Amino acid sequence: MTTRSGTGVSRPGFVWAAPAAVFFGLFALLPLVLVVVLSFAEWNGLSSPRFSGLGNWQRLFDDPVMLKSLWLSVLLTVLGVVVQSPLSILLGVWAAGHQRNRAVLSAIYFVPLLLSAAAVSVLWRAVLDPNFGVPAHAEWLVGDGNLFGTQSSAIGVLAFVSAWQFTPLHTLIHQGAARAVPQVLYQAAQIDGAGKVRQFFHITLPQLRNSIITSMILMVVGGLTTFDTVLILTQGGPGTDTTISAYYMYQKAFKNFDYGTASAIGVLLVLVATVISLIVVRLSGYDRMRSTMEGL
Amino acid sequence: MRQRARFLRNTAVGGAALTLVLTLSACGGGGSDSAGGDDGRIHVLVYGDSANKVEKRIIATFNKTSEVKAVLDTIPGADYQAKLQTIINSEQAPDVFFNWGGGSIRPFVDAGLLMPLDDFIAKDPDLKDKFLPTVFESAEVDGKPYGIPMRGTQPVLLFHNKKVLKETGVEPPKTWDDMLAAVGKLKAKGVTPIALGGGDKWPTLMWFEYLYDRVAGPGLLQKALAGDKDVWASADSRKALGMIRELADAGAFGTHYDSVKFTDQGSPTLLATGKAGFELMGSWEYATQQESHPKFAERDLGHSAFPAVDGGKGDPADLVGNTNNFYSVLKKTKHPEAVAEFLKLQYSEESVKAQLAIGNVPTTTDTEKHLDAAADPDFARSQLKMVEKAPAFQLSWDQAYPQTATVGMHQAVQQFLNGGLDEDGFIKAMQALPTS
Repeated sequence: MTTRSGTGVSRPGFVWAAPAAVFFGLFALLPLVLVVVLSFAEWNGLSSPRFSGLGNWQRLFDDPVMLKSLWLSVLLTVLGVVVQSPLSILLGVWAAGHQRNRAVLSAIYFVPLLLSAAAVSVLWRAVLDPNFGVPAHAEWLVGDGNLFGTQSSAIGVLAFVSAWQFTPLHTLIHQGAARAVPQVLYQAAQIDGAGKVRQFFHITLPQLRNSIITSMILMVVGGLTTFDTVLILTQGGPGTDTTISAYYMYQKAFKNFDYGTASAIGVLLVLVATVISLIVVRLSGYDRMRSTMEGL
Repeated sequence: MRQRARFLRNTAVGGAALTLVLTLSACGGGGSDSAGGDDGRIHVLVYGDSANKVEKRIIATFNKTSEVKAVLDTIPGADYQAKLQTIINSEQAPDVFFNWGGGSIRPFVDAGLLMPLDDFIAKDPDLKDKFLPTVFESAEVDGKPYGIPMRGTQPVLLFHNKKVLKETGVEPPKTWDDMLAAVGKLKAKGVTPIALGGGDKWPTLMWFEYLYDRVAGPGLLQKALAGDKDVWASADSRKALGMIRELADAGAFGTHYDSVKFTDQGSPTLLATGKAGFELMGSWEYATQQESHPKFAERDLGHSAFPAVDGGKGDPADLVGNTNNFYSVLKKTKHPEAVAEFLKLQYSEESVKAQLAIGNVPTTTDTEKHLDAAADPDFARSQLKMVEKAPAFQLSWDQAYPQTATVGMHQAVQQFLNGGLDEDGFIKAMQALPTS
């Protein structure tokens, strides 16, 4: 109440938020509610939905593919974080510098970011063709080239292609953050006799904390909702070996026309993603938003 | 400062109101003037591909004389079934639509959306009599006709590279033993015996379809479709599975077939470039090769029927594949008379000739008379003969089963072939498929 009389600048009213709120309500909240309702019904898109209680949920919990798909989603997400984080931090810090050719090389390196995930997947599918792609000439590396035919190699391909496409985005985030690190810190470290490596671990990394958390949350959310790369590269195969939850949901809805079960998977994904995001935020202290500039 | 704030606020309110108006009007628009609503025309929905030029032509012919005009709507291939399912019970539903007969229309029949064509046929018996019976029957559901054949028949044939076979001293196999011997010889020469687009999964399914027919006869799948799950565990079923395993263990498909696809030209290119000797594929292999490897299609692309199995119950002349494509009619069409007239054009001379010219082989009783109009008369004649003579023409399993079974079926055949499932596992997976 003090703000209103004290400063004379009123806080923006609800109207300010109205356009965004309407959009969010219509295109995010309303569908979410409908999906929750549908998850308790049987519906093939032809006749009217029929209420079926917990039937879909019961079947999902007994479905080995569902459980496997959750593990696969988590595995791919973890692989994404493990592969992309170190790479993007190193590249980002390098790109923040002032070396020769840096600008040109960075620009080239950001190209994958400009391509759509679908285009990237189609491209890699062709490059990795066992008869007419790279594997045909690299037997020492990939054996007979059956990259999409075994679980481990198919997961490897998915992790690799995601990394190829999304590392540039995270590099960009870290580059920005690394540029913002005050030079005085490095100058002080130099006076204290710290080398490049020490400076990196004791100044750069701690200073990048907030950007690392941001990029990690993006990776987790992106990893759990990965869909296009799986659709184009592996179609969840071989068998169900790369059927992650988001793809399983698509299969249930648009291949099996079982919209009830698909909705239940959707709800489950929302819950899992929310819980994981909360955990990441809590563990990292992101919610407290501790400044990296304290004492400066 | 104040002024600016007010301006922003007004803009925001205006924006919100505009959003609402736009959203509401979009909803309203959908109902009144969209494609399928009654706009006094009949909407014909087809699978979008290069065959559309014939459909366009037939519709133009229809519109010349008909009072009620027809319009052609197309949905690009890969999305066809999913989009059809989402619009068929909506305002945008077409009057007439393309399908594969069998299981592809069963859910629509069960939901009471389709019109049985008995009345049309009673008025014009040619709608049935002008087509080959084995083909016509594959669009019957519960004994009632729901589809009129359109486009062409697509039997699955064993294609081969003539040059490779000649160099290896292999003849197109007549029996299963021939097939195994051919695999051995090709492998010894360093050629992948059989190109298989396992990544697509349905090419793998074709081997199961044929071996089950040859070993157990066409009755097994009919029983399975009728809900008899025990047939999958029968001795015949196990024998067929054993033969598939034997073929795979002999190295017939090479080692990386699951990373190869037909749909991205992978397996056809293997055949055309002589890296593989055989490919089991629908008759569209011919058109595919003609487009990407015209010289090979002309000189070295050969084909034969699937080999016979000694002691098997299936007739060696039996076929599997897509018997035909069909037009089905929605019950709620406002112009049934016009639709009936439109369907009659499917057996017209103009339609048959136009289909032949683009490589399709229509299954009308007088197709034979017009074979000279075909893109490749010999190939068309050979296909037509096979279809006419076939005692049974099994619709591809993934079309004969309801759509809901497709994913499970594809996974089962892929995993059985690559060793992820054993015999019992495969049998269990097939028994778990929904049949209605």
